[in-house]
Amino acid sequence: MTTEELEQLLVQQPIALLHRLARGRVQRHFRAGKRRLIEVLLRHSAENRAGFESDLLTLIGERQTRPAPPPQQTPAARKPKPSAPPRRAPHKPVEPESQEPAITLSSWLEGLGVPPSKTFVPDAWQDDAIAKLREGDVVVSVPTGSGKTYVAVEAARRAIAENRTVIYTSPLKALSNTKYTEFSKIFGADQVGILTGDRRDNGQAPLLIMTTEILRNLLYDAGGGEIDVRLDTLGLVILDESQYIADPERGVVWEETIIFCPSQARLLLLSASIGNPHDIAEWLTSIRPTPCHLIRHSTRTVPLRAGYLHPNGKLTPLFRTVGIPHGHPGHLHPEAKRLFLQYEDETLPSGRRR
Amino acid sequence: MPPSIHPVDLIIALREKHLTPAIVFLTSRRACDEAMQAFDHSHILLPPSRQQAIATVLEKVIAQYPSIAEHPLIPTVQRIGVAAHHAGHLPSWKIAVEELMRHGCLDAVFATTTLAAGVDFPARTVIITQSSIRKSRDFMDLTIGEVQQIAGRAGRRGKDLVGFAIVTPSPYIDLNVLTKGFTGHPEAINSQFLISYPMVLNLLKAHPLDQIQPILAKSFAQFQLNQRAEVLERKLDDLRDQMEPFGPRVCTDWITEWQTFDQVRRQKSHRAPVRRHEPPEVAARFHFLTPGRVVGFARGRGVVLRQYRSKGQKSPMITALRQGGGITESPASTVTEVSDRILDCVDAPVYPWCTPESVEELLQHLEELPTRLPELPILIPKDNEPIPDAVVQTLGDFACPTCPSRSACQRDYPLASKLRQEQHRHLKSIQALRTSLWHRFQEKIDVLQQFGYLTPTAHLTEDGEWARLIRIDHSLLITELLRADAFNGADPAMLAAVMSSIAHDDDRPGAFPRVSSGLASLLGQVRKLAASLSPHEDPPLLRADIAAVTERWIGDPSLTWIGLCKNTTMAEGDIYRLLARTLEFLSQLHTLKGTHPGLADSASRAIAALRRGVLEELP
Ligand SMILES: Nc1ncnc2c1ncn2[C@@H]1O[C@H](COP(=O)(O)OP(=O)(O)OP(=O)(O)O)[C@@H](O)[C@H]1O
Ligand SMILES: [Mg+2]
Repeated sequence: MTTEELEQLLVQQPIALLHRLARGRVQRHFRAGKRRLIEVLLRHSAENRAGFESDLLTLIGERQTRPAPPPQQTPAARKPKPSAPPRRAPHKPVEPESQEPAITLSSWLEGLGVPPSKTFVPDAWQDDAIAKLREGDVVVSVPTGSGKTYVAVEAARRAIAENRTVIYTSPLKALSNTKYTEFSKIFGADQVGILTGDRRDNGQAPLLIMTTEILRNLLYDAGGGEIDVRLDTLGLVILDESQYIADPERGVVWEETIIFCPSQARLLLLSASIGNPHDIAEWLTSIRPTPCHLIRHSTRTVPLRAGYLHPNGKLTPLFRTVGIPHGHPGHLHPEAKRLFLQYEDETLPSGRRR
Repeated sequence: MPPSIHPVDLIIALREKHLTPAIVFLTSRRACDEAMQAFDHSHILLPPSRQQAIATVLEKVIAQYPSIAEHPLIPTVQRIGVAAHHAGHLPSWKIAVEELMRHGCLDAVFATTTLAAGVDFPARTVIITQSSIRKSRDFMDLTIGEVQQIAGRAGRRGKDLVGFAIVTPSPYIDLNVLTKGFTGHPEAINSQFLISYPMVLNLLKAHPLDQIQPILAKSFAQFQLNQRAEVLERKLDDLRDQMEPFGPRVCTDWITEWQTFDQVRRQKSHRAPVRRHEPPEVAARFHFLTPGRVVGFARGRGVVLRQYRSKGQKSPMITALRQGGGITESPASTVTEVSDRILDCVDAPVYPWCTPESVEELLQHLEELPTRLPELPILIPKDNEPIPDAVVQTLGDFACPTCPSRSACQRDYPLASKLRQEQHRHLKSIQALRTSLWHRFQEKIDVLQQFGYLTPTAHLTEDGEWARLIRIDHSLLITELLRADAFNGADPAMLAAVMSSIAHDDDRPGAFPRVSSGLASLLGQVRKLAASLSPHEDPPLLRADIAAVTERWIGDPSLTWIGLCKNTTMAEGDIYRLLARTLEFLSQLHTLKGTHPGLADSASRAIAALRRGVLEELP
């Protein structure tokens, strides 16, 4: 391939393919427009022309082996359209693809609505978490929005009833403020305090809210001999959003807090779903006086469905199935696939049409 | 077709399908603000009852946080039932939006992904428009965990039977990242145990030096290092089995004996023995640069395909497959990072030293590797001497030439020595894994001793005693400034201004007020000191324009929040965060009242002057 031919070929490719090609080759390629991206890619290709060309051809090959869009749609997808497509195209039944038929939009939307109101019944895992705190530390790793706060509240309630101090930490000041309001409503304003670097609001309350850094500093002071007497009565430390332990800058603060947490206090770690919660639990067991229990599940309480909304307003399911096909990222809905390919073909970063 | 859906069309589409309330995650604050502006000329209008509901909720929030009473977005929010929520807003405004959402008053909120963590901010639907986010000044693909946190905001317990996560494309979106995120298992998380100066001082305050190692051993970092060491130990067991047939022969350590003999034979045949002058770290690393090893270069990653020594200089070289498919031959010294990851590769006797299929696979794996890989801790030996000439001279003393097991040794040597090398490598790795935290801790001790915060026996000096109370970023710079008496005579405004220029780590450009000449010269001193400390601590940005904002706010008690905001192009939320972080830094200085009463007093006056108006509303 001559450089000219190569450039020609690059120009013919959709921008998404160019970005894929640029990965690992060009820094900050997301920022570049198509022209610029081609320029940079060409310059880069000099380093290893053969490898570059073969990558390009592979990527083009991959595109072509994807199922072709239905024939009557092809010309529209390839050519600039005279006007924007009608915003709400009449719903056409989706062509069934090969084996099992893909779901229709209407059945994907089915079931949407408000559940009948029920009296609050805690989930089994919530009860379990609270019960296990009697025996030792607890790590909870469940999906977003499952109800971890309930566990924190009930555990705190018990500890307070036993005249113990409870510390609740979050990684963000904003979150601390929200919880301060929320817990004040639940326990009464006199029962809840909040500590920041320069302010103590109701610092003698049995339930104290602070960021993890502030707690770490308290523990440092205790280690240095300046014992805040309240640490003696500390019964429970709740670390919310504890997946922050993997934060590149701040993660170490969670480790320090856990390492220096007084041994008579129970630890309750609340975390979003992570890949290795058992490692965290095993670690706690290895360094803390009581064994640590892991409470984990990955099913969402409110089931989740994924969809695709085309810029022209057309909505379709993202996957072939109603729910999310766990472990099968490739089970795309044919309509979503077609529309997205069309999108990739048509979009230039400048917003112009090809 | 536009590159992404118009915000007004989006909201109309969502309403029509009963998919509201929705959180629309956009790539930037600007995108959120522009989305709001897009409604300026829309015909969307909420029915009066809903407008009233919004007004009622807002009234309650305003009663608690008067600063938002005049918020310019209130009329729009009330008219269209849509709001924006991002870090450029004041916390009180964000609370207002959260409250509106909780009361079901809004149809949609345009937000950045900072909303994904923790805030109880649920909706029926989440709209995702991106597959990467800006992290430490670069864009990175969303991890599976992040996609699930974002998508997980959809579907409120008790209010929704199902939740919807809807992808709508914008330029540069990579659908694969999102589909993988929806359907995959979240990644395992790894410890990020940074050892800081305050950590060292505070640990040594509470514990004698000989108790530190057991404390570090309690970290999650060490727990994970041990897990890696155990994997190696199992490999070591395997190797021990494989070494079974190569036990003692005529001489106990026949492998070394044969190796030396063989080497000496070769050295002797050369007129001038080659001497390798390579830095010990290159030599130490070279053992690990074996085929399949993932390594980092100054630009990008690669997989080692072969290691060899160059013809002339005999310098250590590697052939590597680089990200993007390039195959390069370069000195081993160009490797900047040796990861603890070996990919399978089928080697071949000729360039590129592994099979074409293998190249393909390696490339694929390279692309799929997580952005951060555990690094292989490598111990750098102090001495790595060539065989002394004396030994070379005594070739005649070797028994090998006439030894009965000579042929067996000659035959087995290549395999046996390869196995033994591997054993040594693993042993070294294991040792490094077990001790790397301690070494890193000791490095910090060295620096603190050099600066006089620790005695040679690692006890806190007088300065160390107070320095341990400074537990924020750039602690070394701050404590050194105090020792240099840099704030002597500085008024509270100037003290706070310098603290804020140390605290602020955002390089977003902007136009800001000018600094006073006193502050300018003080900042000059701080910069000089920061530069001189740079081998031990990364210098902060120390922006004069940032310092000026704080100086203004404290220096002029009659200045209103709106007045301050007009002085700069910074977003309200950023100014708030800047001042809040400055408060945090000042409150640390305040703890030094025992040893630095003047400074502590100045700090507490700065705190009092800083905490007014908006900054008083929240703890
Ligand atoms: N057992 C239950 N039955 C019904 N609703 C519940 C139950 N437990 C919790 N909830 C409700 O679920 C919602 C989400 O709870 P919560 O905020 O505690 O989630 P979370 O797990 O902390 O999520 P995040 O990862 O966002 O922090 C709340 O509105 C809460 O009232
Ligand atoms: Mg929560």
